[in-house]
Amino acid sequence: MKKSGSLLLVVALTALALAAGRASGPASASPLAAVACDGLPVGFMGPITGPVAFLGAEQLHWAQYALDSFNKANKTTFTLQQADTQLNPSLAQTGGTKLVADKSVLGVVGPAGSQEVQAIGALFKKAGLPYISASATNATLTNGKYPTFFRVVGSDKTQATTDARFMVKKLKAKKVFLVDDQESYSTGIATTAQAVLRGLGVKVDRQSVNQKVTDFSALVSKIDDDTDVVFLPWQVAANAQLFYQQMREQGKKAKIFGSDGLDSGDFKADGRYISSFARDIRGTPGTAGLIKTYESRYGNKWGTFGPPTYVAIQSMLTAMKAACKDGKSSRGEVLRSLRKVKLAKTILGLPLSFNARGDNPHAKFYVYQITGSKRTLVG
Amino acid sequence: MDFFVQQVVNGVTLGSVYALIALGYSMVYGILKLLNFAHGDVYMIGAFIGYGVLTVFGGAIDPSVPVPLLIVCMFGAAMLGSGLLGVAIERFAYRPLRNAPRIAPLISALGVSFFLQNAALLLFSPNFRSYESYELEGGSLFLPLNAGALQISPLRILVICSTLALMVALTFFVGRTQLGKAMRATAYDREAAAMMGINVDRVIVVTFFIGSALAGAAGVMVGLVFQRVYHFMGFIAGLKGFTAAVVGGIGSIPGAMLGGLIIGLAEAFSTAYVSSTFSDLIVFAILITVMLVRPTGLLGKADIKKV
Repeated sequence: MKKSGSLLLVVALTALALAAGRASGPASASPLAAVACDGLPVGFMGPITGPVAFLGAEQLHWAQYALDSFNKANKTTFTLQQADTQLNPSLAQTGGTKLVADKSVLGVVGPAGSQEVQAIGALFKKAGLPYISASATNATLTNGKYPTFFRVVGSDKTQATTDARFMVKKLKAKKVFLVDDQESYSTGIATTAQAVLRGLGVKVDRQSVNQKVTDFSALVSKIDDDTDVVFLPWQVAANAQLFYQQMREQGKKAKIFGSDGLDSGDFKADGRYISSFARDIRGTPGTAGLIKTYESRYGNKWGTFGPPTYVAIQSMLTAMKAACKDGKSSRGEVLRSLRKVKLAKTILGLPLSFNARGDNPHAKFYVYQITGSKRTLVG
Repeated sequence: MDFFVQQVVNGVTLGSVYALIALGYSMVYGILKLLNFAHGDVYMIGAFIGYGVLTVFGGAIDPSVPVPLLIVCMFGAAMLGSGLLGVAIERFAYRPLRNAPRIAPLISALGVSFFLQNAALLLFSPNFRSYESYELEGGSLFLPLNAGALQISPLRILVICSTLALMVALTFFVGRTQLGKAMRATAYDREAAAMMGINVDRVIVVTFFIGSALAGAAGVMVGLVFQRVYHFMGFIAGLKGFTAAVVGGIGSIPGAMLGGLIIGLAEAFSTAYVSSTFSDLIVFAILITVMLVRPTGLLGKADIKKV
């Protein structure tokens, strides 16, 4: 009797737990559920705080600016709903779950990092929620696994190829020391760059290091004196700065080259090369007035992460507006509408459209050399 | 050969930091048989105090006081602040549980660790802060000195020498002073020491103060040499410091020093000769091997129990 009572209790508790699990799980809105378009929010996911908060703040400001400009020009009432990811996949999942559960969210701009896109990919696919990243570049993100994912910028494959060719053709590199940071963003670029460099006859010393280590000096010691370029496709600029300082400390003279993730004021190596998925729009014809208004609101500390976010918001709102013709819309309608978006000219100086995989076929990568505060387009 | 010697320098620098953290673990365990898991976070607070002092004095680019005085102030403030924090932790989180089952203070230690991490997160945000010590004295403290093919910067020399000085001072204090003798007596048998008239509470407070002050010094050293400070930095460093203490023989002061150096060197050599991907694996493999071969650690002594 006592035994069967215990068994009953276990079964009852299990059933209760399962019921509770079902009740508290993310209540995903149906992709077909239509909602009224008045005051509709567009989700924004970015690292607003955390080790790359500079990036998230810049993206958020440009997102808000794009939203205000769009509403003013189109007499719409879209709003922004933020989710902080700290560039952390688990936090991206938490924020993504909240956005998915909110049935009024029909589209999202973000997240910033490729590993975050991977973390929320299945969730957004299930919810049929379209999302556009302004900076996630991992090539595998658009291989069909995440059918609701789009991006404004080019893929790592393009970035790695551009960078590798620049190192060989312009920097005349014969030997490259390449270190990935063990995140999917970094390993993707490193693997492609390594293949391209080797294909061009360059000797590559490939290393890998976790970004939570205290000290890089043992790794720096491995850089041979005849190394021409040290390539760091990393995302935490403070770490790249330490790596550079330890290179100087050990008298290593190689040129240092970072991917777009290091395009930040925290990485201060003089004469560094940085690849960027967007042209510095200062000086792009037709952007002077837009920049002036932006800077009067948010200040002049911004780089290359903000303008692609502006374009991402612009394209998402264009899709939402088109899907809202009858005053109501659904995630499915926004997704279909987004696939058809075509912007003949954007502030990036390039047109924007999406191919069947969600990539922008017009996207390019650029190489800058930064000395002091001077930023020169070199490739 | 030059490459090997360079790795020794790298390993000894890192090992110096681990050794200072390990000393705190070892001293507290020696006296209270308590694993103070909040110790890594005391080190993190020390690093932030150093950063605060640096900021108050105008930052690394243009400090308002001479650099040697600035560094002394950073060490002084961090050691004092961390020491007092250690005393407060002992008073409020461990002392009420001194006679409770051993699991209770252990859980309390984990709670304090999470509390400190989250308090730092709230106060300082999750953003990385940088000491930017490469700007001190126009960057000269980071430039390699001419020592043949060996590359060593003045800041690394400062870290290694400061660690040595602190260890010598601690060894002298524990071996030669009245309070040091009381610490050893308390570590040997707390009850007997109390019966002999030793103020055990005072000894424990001093132990926490010294151990935490050393962790604070380690925090400033890391900030000066490795730049970055953030709220979660105490976790990994605390884990490595604890490993160093166990490898050297927890409860043994020379053991903590030896353990720190072994872990620092193992990390540097595994990165240099194997791969940085496997450096943690190698460090913890050393821990497991030492535990299997010599469970008391390299310089630890087995407890003699009256049967």
